Amino acid sequence: MEETNQKQPNQYLIPVAILIAGVFVAAALYFTNTNSAPVANTGTNQPAVAQQQPQPSGSTDAVRAVTGEDHIKGNPNAPIKIVEYSDFECPFCKRFHNTMNEVMDKYGESGDVAWVYRQFPLEQLHPVKAMAEAVASECAAELGGNDAFWQFADRFMELTPSNNQTDIETVIPQIVKEIGLDQTAFQTCFTSGKYDQHIQDDIDNAVATGGRGTPWSIMIGPDGTTYPINGAQPLAAIEQLIGIAKNSQ
Amino acid sequence: MLYVRALIAVIRQPLYLLITTLVAGIVFTFAVWLPSLSLIVIVAKNASLTELLSLMWSLYGAIGSNFTAISASYTTIIAILFGLNVALLTYYIRKMRGGISNANIGSTGAASAGGLVSGIFGIGCAACGTFIFTSVLTLFGIAGVLSYLPFGGEEFGFLGVGLLLYSLYSLSKKITDPMVCPI
Repeated sequence: MEETNQKQPNQYLIPVAILIAGVFVAAALYFTNTNSAPVANTGTNQPAVAQQQPQPSGSTDAVRAVTGEDHIKGNPNAPIKIVEYSDFECPFCKRFHNTMNEVMDKYGESGDVAWVYRQFPLEQLHPVKAMAEAVASECAAELGGNDAFWQFADRFMELTPSNNQTDIETVIPQIVKEIGLDQTAFQTCFTSGKYDQHIQDDIDNAVATGGRGTPWSIMIGPDGTTYPINGAQPLAAIEQLIGIAKNSQ
Repeated sequence: MLYVRALIAVIRQPLYLLITTLVAGIVFTFAVWLPSLSLIVIVAKNASLTELLSLMWSLYGAIGSNFTAISASYTTIIAILFGLNVALLTYYIRKMRGGISNANIGSTGAASAGGLVSGIFGIGCAACGTFIFTSVLTLFGIAGVLSYLPFGGEEFGFLGVGLLLYSLYSLSKKITDPMVCPI
């Protein structure tokens, strides 16, 4: 009788353990495939967007149309566009930046693929610096055009350690000088706050399309089909996807 | 050493080697494909089977590009340890069916499940807030806690490895223990 009582509490331990594991796996699937809760913030120490309002559908179809105001590498009228939402302090964005440069080396000249860069600074993970770097890149674009933006972005990704360890006081002026921008005009732009809303619009669009972290990218095929690319996926996968998008037209 | 020998003896049998490989493969694949599941679904609707399979194969490369060296290591280790756990648990249940009670395997099963759950939490790009752990934290509005963790959430991966190792030790011990009635 006593032995029976001792066994009772453990009788359901394995099924319960398996059930708990199953629930977590299901939750994992749910969280990674729905627009649950992005971590991005506005860059002004406000609560995260997700905590302020209910989330939109999270469909990649909500990607904002690519216009002349975007930072575009390659043919602006390319049939395939890869819109990347990125954070200059994110180490995986750095990796994906290199991958995308390889993609553009291969598909850019033929005009088949265009790379569109949008801002998605993760303020909660990379406070102050990610936002400041996004502003700096916008100022580089304002003062030197599209080419200056890409020169700034490429050089920044090359020079900096990421994970909020960048010495922005040193690195940003260094790059501004290297790419030949007017340093006084840059400083005026940098402190003006004029790009805060533009960056917020990019963040909002990233969130609206289902982005919860960086790098978050959406490939837009020739027929308008949108493909989500979550994280720093390898070059081989991006090339496969380009092939699929080409064939689907 | 005795426990390691018991483990080796079990997985040298083709059935248990197969179970280990299959389960480890499934867990590893789940971890690597997790961020791309919605992409896989979209491609499945818009592309041929060959294109889909080629894409899925190429996505395995994400273990090198979408993970840190540490997270790639413990993700692989978690997959293998979980496969070994399932194989050993299957062996134990099959061989000792007559003398086994739920009490005997309850804590081990809980450690295995806990190890997998903890490992799942550690999977992904915690630094960039892409995956599970961050999603769970943001659900409760406390994503900022990640910046205070020394390894940005990868601690859960380490915990997963620890729990699975304990579970493996515990299972091997039970397998080598003689089946006697306690006094």
